[in-house]
Amino acid sequence: MIGLIILAIFVSMIILAIFIIFNRDLPHSVILFMGFGLGSVVLFFLFSAPDVALTEAVIGTGASSVVLLVTLLQVRRKERKR
Amino acid sequence: MSIKQKISIQTISVSFVVSIMIIILLGILLNFTTQFQPTLGSDLLAINANSTETANAVTSVVTYFRGFDTLGEVTILFLSIFGVSLGLEGFKEKLNIFSYQNTLLKIGVDTLFPIIILFGIYVIVHGHLSPGGGFQGGVIIASGFLLMFLAKGDDFSINHKILELVESLSGAGFILIALLGLLVTDRFLGNFIPIGEVGELFSGGIIPLIYIFVGIKVSAEITALLEYFIRIKDVR
Repeated sequence: MIGLIILAIFVSMIILAIFIIFNRDLPHSVILFMGFGLGSVVLFFLFSAPDVALTEAVIGTGASSVVLLVTLLQVRRKERKR
Repeated sequence: MSIKQKISIQTISVSFVVSIMIIILLGILLNFTTQFQPTLGSDLLAINANSTETANAVTSVVTYFRGFDTLGEVTILFLSIFGVSLGLEGFKEKLNIFSYQNTLLKIGVDTLFPIIILFGIYVIVHGHLSPGGGFQGGVIIASGFLLMFLAKGDDFSINHKILELVESLSGAGFILIALLGLLVTDRFLGNFIPIGEVGELFSGGIIPLIYIFVGIKVSAEITALLEYFIRIKDVR
């Protein structure tokens, strides 16, 4: 049962990562990155590493996305089409 | 703009995935305390409890068995804040702190700020008993200050001189404890305080002391880093 949950989280994290890469709207990418961090928090917790999960929850989901969003306010919002 | 334009297939699928993740997370957290059966952990915990008397084995690895590595990590953090302040100090007058001046956010943050600080202090002080410790609790305290910056903007200012003084003193305290251990037990970071019972708040010898110093240092450093990084050119 727990293996199925872990597999489901892995698959959804891969889907989220694909969306993060191919999204042209950069703030959306950052928000999706927070979702990606949430998935890794669950995985760390399931792999018996609650200390790392706590760190990832605070840094990966909180602080780094705020810094990224503030940076994106200074630059162009949309990625240029190639 | 109509609703049809705003909601795309991608938005729907992504929100579906994220909501499933949140449901799974809540379910796991609710199930964890009743159904989790440690397999390898119990043996490791028995070995650890005999040697250092801490309930959290990760903490005793980080601050006791590999305490010197922790000193190195703390030094890396100090170097990073040193480099950032060296590079960004000149831009401080030209840039303003990014913030939404919003009454709801201000009142909410005023309520949340003490709770977040209290939780961070709890995580630091109970580092040898439960998951968490100096780094995690320090970053939680820094995220409380980040919320204050986002809500208050330039009304809420911190004194970098005091932050750096606090940070340097806590780093010096870490090394002082390590040198005292060298003096008393002939081992750098040796345990010279009597270890108490496993699971008590005052137990584990020097481990809680080291984690308190690391927590103060990390919270001061990350607060200063975030204060430098969330500045933008013009406030909307």
